Amino acid sequence: MVKLTKTLITVFFLLLKLDNKDVLSLFRVLHWQPNAGTTVNTQILNEVSQCVESINGVKEGRWKATLTYYKPMLRDQSQAPELPRDFLGISLPEQPNKYYFIIRGQRIVLEADSSIQTIMEKLQSYKSRVALYFEGFQYQLGDFQLRVGKVTPTHSDNLRGIIMEVEYLPLSSLEKSRQVMEEFVDIWQEAISKRSLPGHFMHIEPSFVEYGLSDHYSSQHTAVQYATVMAQLIATQSVQAARN
Amino acid sequence: MECVVQGIIETQHVEALEILLQGLCGVHKEHLRVHELCLKSGPNLGHVGSEVRLLCDLEHPEPWTVKHVGGALRGSGAEQLSVMVRNMVESKASKNVLRLFYALGYKLDHELLRVGSAFHFKRGARITVTVSSINKMLKLHAIDDTVPVTLGIQVVEVTAPATSENYSEVAAAMSSFCEYLAPLLHLSKPGVSTGVVPTAAAAAASLMSDGGGTTL
Repeated sequence: MVKLTKTLITVFFLLLKLDNKDVLSLFRVLHWQPNAGTTVNTQILNEVSQCVESINGVKEGRWKATLTYYKPMLRDQSQAPELPRDFLGISLPEQPNKYYFIIRGQRIVLEADSSIQTIMEKLQSYKSRVALYFEGFQYQLGDFQLRVGKVTPTHSDNLRGIIMEVEYLPLSSLEKSRQVMEEFVDIWQEAISKRSLPGHFMHIEPSFVEYGLSDHYSSQHTAVQYATVMAQLIATQSVQAARN
Repeated sequence: MECVVQGIIETQHVEALEILLQGLCGVHKEHLRVHELCLKSGPNLGHVGSEVRLLCDLEHPEPWTVKHVGGALRGSGAEQLSVMVRNMVESKASKNVLRLFYALGYKLDHELLRVGSAFHFKRGARITVTVSSINKMLKLHAIDDTVPVTLGIQVVEVTAPATSENYSEVAAAMSSFCEYLAPLLHLSKPGVSTGVVPTAAAAAASLMSDGGGTTL
């Protein structure tokens, strides 16, 4: 059965190679949703990594993204103007010279040069409240590149989540690649479910249109996905904390 | 960080200045039409107020430029220079940068439209010379409905990027270049008012009759 699954996966990717037209790629970011009453841990992360390798994913190297929540600096703390509490910045490994700002509540995403961080430091109106690393290993799997990573605060090893980034290399159109991506994710979900882990991977597709983004995929789309994942991780942990 | 000097010239002499610049720099002028928005932090935001400039090059509307201009370098070494050395950081940004800064609590302090020309060249340093009229908008963001801030006068700005290690050399290169422009206009540190030079009319007439002159 395992051999048959592996064969099917190999054939699937070979067929995809025949349809290589575009050069930009498309990402889907999934996060681990633990079952009620359970928490994410490193054993799950190890099982996920092993699962990728079991479906012939070739380990290529490490990757890291950083996400920073900003807070406004107020002269008079008693007067709190209407300022965003969900203002965050993201650096992505595929765009080392860029930085992304997002205000989820207002559906704003901005792509800027990395020097925008220096400008924000000079302005002194917002400062970093908490920063998190998304880091792990990346794997090549036919026309897909997978990144499996843990989510940890920058000054701690406390595991806050597990994410998986699926990059489909040949296409950059969201609509055209939707079926291919969903088929891959279905295969992946079936593979990981065989390990009977206490949870599953979830993908919540943000409404890119609300952010003013087009069907043509870009790193701004990825940044929005990361922001959405973080919101989910926070919501999950809030529910768990309330239960405890 | 950047080195910068500014001056003013009467609009009637701009053509002569552009002929001189083209001869000196060996490059063609680029059209300049930049919408500049100056934003300031709202009350209570930041322990001290802050200011940021957003620039939209209307010739190439994307990306925008975010610019933070800091204070001038202090100390006897910097003060002896004929150019101002100041902190400056720029970043390109996607088109909704204005919406982002509004959401962060920044307010529009003023906006203006710079229309003119720019020369980019290398002469001991990477120098940029802009010659432009400064126009204010009669309505919010109305870039097609503007009037000059000062009729008949254009601003000349000479800038060059620098670092803390090389600003002296950059300043020297700029000063050396600016000497060639002296017959037409006087360039000085921003904030130091000089007015138009009395030799400008004669120098301009000479350049115009010369039909361009030779590259120096």
